Amino acid sequence: MAEPKYFSSSLIQRRKNFAWLIPLADLRLTLTLLSLSMVLIFVATLEQVRVGIRGAQSEFFESFYGIWHYPEQFWWGEFLHPLPIPIPGGYLLGGSLIINLLAAFLTRFQWTGKKMGIQLIHFGIILLLVGQLATQALQEESRMLINKGGTVNYLERFHGVELAFIEVTNPNSSRVVAFPQKLLQQDGLHYFPDLPFKVRVLQFGPNCDFKALPPAIRATGPSESVNRGVAQSANLQIIPKPEDFSSEGMNFAYVVFELLDGAHSMGVWAAISHPAGNHFWAQIDPSIADLAFQPIRKNGELWGVSLRAEREYLPYSIELLGISNEFYQGTDIPYNFESEVLLRTDDNQSRRALVYMNTPLRHEGKTFYQYQMNKAADYTVFQVVRNPSWLIPYLACILVSIGLLWQFSFHLARFLSRNASSNHRTA
Amino acid sequence: MPPMKFFSSFLILFAAMALFIGSCGENEKARSYLTKNEYEGAVAAWKLPEDWGENPSALGIMAGSFHVKTAEGPMGRIGVMPFRESVDISTIINMFAAELGHPDYNQTSILSLIQEIRLENRSFELVRLEDKKANTEPRSALLALYRAEGQTWLFPFVASRKLIDEQLENFHAFLSSTILRSGSTPLRAINPSPVPPSTLGHQPTWEAPDHWQRKPTTSIRMGNYVVSGESGESLDFSITSFPGDVGGILANVNRWLGQVGMDATDESGLSRYMSDRMIDEKPAKLVIAESNDQALYAAILFHEGRSWFLKLMGDRNLARSEKKNFIGLLDSFCLGDH
Repeated sequence: MAEPKYFSSSLIQRRKNFAWLIPLADLRLTLTLLSLSMVLIFVATLEQVRVGIRGAQSEFFESFYGIWHYPEQFWWGEFLHPLPIPIPGGYLLGGSLIINLLAAFLTRFQWTGKKMGIQLIHFGIILLLVGQLATQALQEESRMLINKGGTVNYLERFHGVELAFIEVTNPNSSRVVAFPQKLLQQDGLHYFPDLPFKVRVLQFGPNCDFKALPPAIRATGPSESVNRGVAQSANLQIIPKPEDFSSEGMNFAYVVFELLDGAHSMGVWAAISHPAGNHFWAQIDPSIADLAFQPIRKNGELWGVSLRAEREYLPYSIELLGISNEFYQGTDIPYNFESEVLLRTDDNQSRRALVYMNTPLRHEGKTFYQYQMNKAADYTVFQVVRNPSWLIPYLACILVSIGLLWQFSFHLARFLSRNASSNHRTA
Repeated sequence: MPPMKFFSSFLILFAAMALFIGSCGENEKARSYLTKNEYEGAVAAWKLPEDWGENPSALGIMAGSFHVKTAEGPMGRIGVMPFRESVDISTIINMFAAELGHPDYNQTSILSLIQEIRLENRSFELVRLEDKKANTEPRSALLALYRAEGQTWLFPFVASRKLIDEQLENFHAFLSSTILRSGSTPLRAINPSPVPPSTLGHQPTWEAPDHWQRKPTTSIRMGNYVVSGESGESLDFSITSFPGDVGGILANVNRWLGQVGMDATDESGLSRYMSDRMIDEKPAKLVIAESNDQALYAAILFHEGRSWFLKLMGDRNLARSEKKNFIGLLDSFCLGDH
């Protein structure tokens, strides 16, 4: 069979075919990108202090570039701090490295058995970079909070909210229509066939302060136009704030929206999401308890609206049978958190499992790690991770290992053979 | 290789990478799904007749409030009021009876007024009260009660006698359409009950004129008086308190204006009836509204998450002569928290 012309095993032929890739395969470019990666890691590590891990990750690793300000407390900080310094982001460096490696693969490497180790090592590194990119894009992290004796069949995302309309007229089942945060951020008019009204998003913010004003004072800002629901009855003033990326950050996302029956406005509502769950509103103030469920009646149906952590419903449920946490004697340092659960699938299959440190529960592509526990309040929280590309780093490491083994073995064999022949000649 | 070619090839490859990253994100669309109903609150839903409209500002003790659309504009008031427990029918009827010039009813005297009807296999108690005070445009109150699962639902329809007669069929259709289910947590609207002493920790005090005749307090009224004139005219005075702002100033003032036969107003028109006043060293609102034959004098005080209403209502001439006494009572009013 004739060899494809483009991907010839002859390096000279490939360099001709992919001449335009030769500059991209330059080793100096590789070294520059690796050096810049080190700068990126250094800067992002410094920035963690300011914006937290999630903030630094979002600003520098999950972007094409980030803007860094030289720390004031460093030498000449008073002069250099105001200068915005662009730093190449993770997507830019990672993407460039992949291109650089692919170009090298095509235009610099010899596709021979002798050099196969080098090729495998580089292919492994490419796979590692692609795997990281895929993880970044496809991995989902959520939490599942279960009270002892309770059963839960949904996950809540750590970050991101949804505006959920829940129809509860039927005592047995609820119809839910949820608008995810990315849709709310776009503002505009949204229509969904299952909803008896249209939703016009007027304003969305990832975080806010809020306070109930005395009845005589009119609210200003985002809630100024609100004329229905809790924000109106409690005279809530919403003050937008930037998102807090720190690990302890409590973000109260808010949305102001209008409901429309055809072209007729039904009113303007506001909803706020409590980061610890909307059931906490009742504990803060009974007058805003309905932020967990603001009633809207239409066509003989009762709908409730709330802004809540984005949910994913599962085709199975998990019941918390028991929890235990043990501490090192005389200390508050835990050495074991353990949750006993019963997993029930829709087809009436069930299995018991113990979830504890380093021993997660795996089911249908999701991994449930023991995350938090409150023995006094009798609840447990699992961190739930879904990562379809979890296997790629393992494959990449295997490839790199095989490549290294191949390359070293090849050199060893050649050395031993030379040594043997040299001894033979000497003899 | 020329630099331009280098950059263009780099850009093409990079754009492909960026597209890949962009396309890996979730497809952001609204989602719809069915799930188990985990809502623990009470459910109240209904279908409005075509010629009824909703009063958007009606909140507080009302789960819903509506009007009849007429050529002259919105007329009448229809409401949905949930009570978290099975309350005595006479207590509910007396809330409206005083305003329509009826005597207080007890459990025996109310029986002759109750008519039971069945709609969609559910039994409703109906009571119709005619206005005994107004000479022109007599009003009526048609009150429907539904009891289920330890909860009582009141559907008051207050309007002119003629409008209620015209809308009877719609009112029955509305009652038939209701879906009512009590829950483990209360409905958004709050039971209009007086402040329990255990949570209040203190009781308000006031000084009423000697000739104001004290009446028994009810589950709604912690102060209850009647003022009688020489020619048989009368005034009703009440002191009530509710958690929250029960719909706010505008909703309450409009409700009262309707009770004295006056048109509703908007935010900008409130200043015609309302002025600032200090009550118990706290900022409050004084509402003065007079129609041709009726008058309303009221004070609204919001304090520590509760609303206090002190309301004198009835014959206009008698109200004018009692205005000084009413103001004197306001000055004597003390919440007892200091």
